[in-house]
Amino acid sequence: MMGHTQWLFFMRIALSFLLASLAGEGVCRLVKMPRITGYALAGLLLGPLGLDWVDGEDLPDFRFLVELTLTLLLFELGVRVSLRWLKYNPWVIASSLLESGATFVAVFAVLMMMGLEVKSALSIAVIAMGTSPVIVLRMVTEMRAQGQVTQRLLVLCGLNTVYSVVCFYLIMGWFQGTFHGQWFMALFHSFYLLVGSLGMGLVLALSFKLLRRMFELSDEQSAPVLFGLLLLLQALLVALELPVFLAPLLGGVLAKHFDPRPHLWPRHFGTAGSILTIILFMMTGSLLTRNEFMVGAETAMIVLLVRFLAKGLGVLLLGPISGLNLRQSLVLGVVLIPMAEIPLVELMDMRTLYPQMGVKILPIVFSMMNVLEVLGPMAVQWGLIRSQEFQEKSS
Amino acid sequence: MKLPPFSSSRPLTLGVELELQLVNTYDYDLVDSTTDLLRLLKKKGKDWDVKPEITQGMVEMATGICVSHADVFEQLDEIRQGIVECADRLDIGVCGGGTHAFQHWSERRIYDTPRFDQLSSLYGYLAKQFTIFGQHVHVGCDNADEALTLLHLLSGFIPHFIALSASSPFVQGNDTGFHSARLNSVFSFPLSGRAPLIETWDSFGEYFDSMMATGIVKSMKDFYWDIRPKPEYGTIEVRVMDTPLTIEKAARIAAFIQSLTRYLTLERPYSPRETDYLVYTFNRFQACRFGYEGVYVNPRNHEHRSLSEEILDTLNKIEPHAIALKADEACAALRREVLTASGDAGWLRQQHAKTQSLAEVVQKQCARWRA
Repeated sequence: MMGHTQWLFFMRIALSFLLASLAGEGVCRLVKMPRITGYALAGLLLGPLGLDWVDGEDLPDFRFLVELTLTLLLFELGVRVSLRWLKYNPWVIASSLLESGATFVAVFAVLMMMGLEVKSALSIAVIAMGTSPVIVLRMVTEMRAQGQVTQRLLVLCGLNTVYSVVCFYLIMGWFQGTFHGQWFMALFHSFYLLVGSLGMGLVLALSFKLLRRMFELSDEQSAPVLFGLLLLLQALLVALELPVFLAPLLGGVLAKHFDPRPHLWPRHFGTAGSILTIILFMMTGSLLTRNEFMVGAETAMIVLLVRFLAKGLGVLLLGPISGLNLRQSLVLGVVLIPMAEIPLVELMDMRTLYPQMGVKILPIVFSMMNVLEVLGPMAVQWGLIRSQEFQEKSS
Repeated sequence: MKLPPFSSSRPLTLGVELELQLVNTYDYDLVDSTTDLLRLLKKKGKDWDVKPEITQGMVEMATGICVSHADVFEQLDEIRQGIVECADRLDIGVCGGGTHAFQHWSERRIYDTPRFDQLSSLYGYLAKQFTIFGQHVHVGCDNADEALTLLHLLSGFIPHFIALSASSPFVQGNDTGFHSARLNSVFSFPLSGRAPLIETWDSFGEYFDSMMATGIVKSMKDFYWDIRPKPEYGTIEVRVMDTPLTIEKAARIAAFIQSLTRYLTLERPYSPRETDYLVYTFNRFQACRFGYEGVYVNPRNHEHRSLSEEILDTLNKIEPHAIALKADEACAALRREVLTASGDAGWLRQQHAKTQSLAEVVQKQCARWRA
């Protein structure tokens, strides 16, 4: 028997989910905006800024689902990053390093100028480097996009997510060192997290290859096998206290490298993926409180502008030499706008670990994230239409 | 537009065009990257002849004027390497084959030029269905009347060309049972098939003018014939071949056509006549459907034999000419393929049986094209 509160909670979440999914369909049909913009708007409406049906308190209940969504999507994204291509065209790595580096430096500089202290500025700069894999993959799938801009968007997104997560853990190590004075332990811990993630990624890629030799994983019926494998990975990462994000992404990259055969399974994750995405977007919308928004909004807007310019200039500078034309390079700068939800869970941890810093950073980051969850998908949609890389629906 | 005069070109010279597939390296579907590839190729600053084709995801490469099999091979090889290098920088795959195994025609996008747009509005979905990949071989002729006669003499060997080059068993994700299913897409065009039996350029000009007067053609390009004259180049163009999986094979087929032309012009074993065409579509269908195993009906003595026997017999007849043109090694390689009943269509089916995945078949096609 369900208790009274459980019943209420369940009903609240179910209604929220239905509302979010309807909002997605609504904006898609009525104003031709991306579905996920609708989910994000619904999240804001349902969150503390609106009806207050869902809030940060609910996150722990969904943490597992949020992490599972990210695991699936990050593995899928990793598979789209071809190391062979980076070898044939090193300018792609160069433009990735430039856009991420420029973003980091510019955001850090502007925050320092605005009077933030070093640690907060560093944290936000590191988070700002990453492009959202969730938005990017959902949009590419929804628009069935393909072409050079799409290809580079996926690869740059995969790479800057890696930089962002790696730097985030290094910085967290440094914070722990200064807070507690245990330098060796802190750095060792960061090292453990990064090397451990790489190791688990390797294990994932090798088991993927082994399983693929036994079953045809492109087959629709075998998709659950892969799903199970990723679920097991998630469990292992939790058990080893490793971050859940780096390993699936690196695992995807290595899987593609070890086994360059076509990867057709993401098609079969479609429905499950979109359901999980709705939950993820609902949750981010629900994190932002009115108070935080008032505190963080202004800084967030300035940081977003600087971030956009840095990324845009980064890819524009090296776009042509890496094989794009000028227009494609400009569009690429726009489609890189969505910001990663990856640090979401980490930030929630940070809120409890370092409450003082949390108070400074979270309002800015949550405001940025929420703005970009609404605008980011629209930017990607605009860019992919502009570069003519979307497919018309076949019916 | 009037029919242009037929320029003279050196007899037995060759020009080869190959239409290629551009695919992504992720699920190996066709990818709209023609524009990007052409841009990178242009930057290389070579005078390679690489052009867009009707839909994005197709590209056509062509040799200049070649005198021999070796010449054709070297030119094709150089352009192929250039294309592969540029494709690598874009992370796309390039391959031969007459059809893409599983692309969906409705997802194709017309390459944006006035001519392709006009074709698309006239032919509707047929234009997108025309995402097929062929090898065209131009043969030089010193005068127009010779060219027209040669066109009709070569028409008898259409089944040979089809069977030797067949590389399109899969269409829209299914095994069609055909060796060359590509040609089925050509047949749906109203002006496809054979050219009318006219052997002088003056009469041909009259025919062309009357067609123009009806308003259904504007230029030679509106005829989708299996073999058609190309007056601007002073050549006739054999257009029935699928793009083979390798340039080695493409060069051999060009060498075969060259040797056959020499045989037909120097020995002139017979003259063309209308009754030769009684069996034309039957023979052509048999070659498309069954490859070497198809039935070949000789229009002169009405003998039925297998196409493989017929091809081997032809190879024997043209051997001295192949030797004279240094095309004998190429012809010997084709002979071995016929004797062992191996060809590109069969190879594709084998790969599919092995991997059970058409996407993997395309991946292997790309690997063969590079090698």
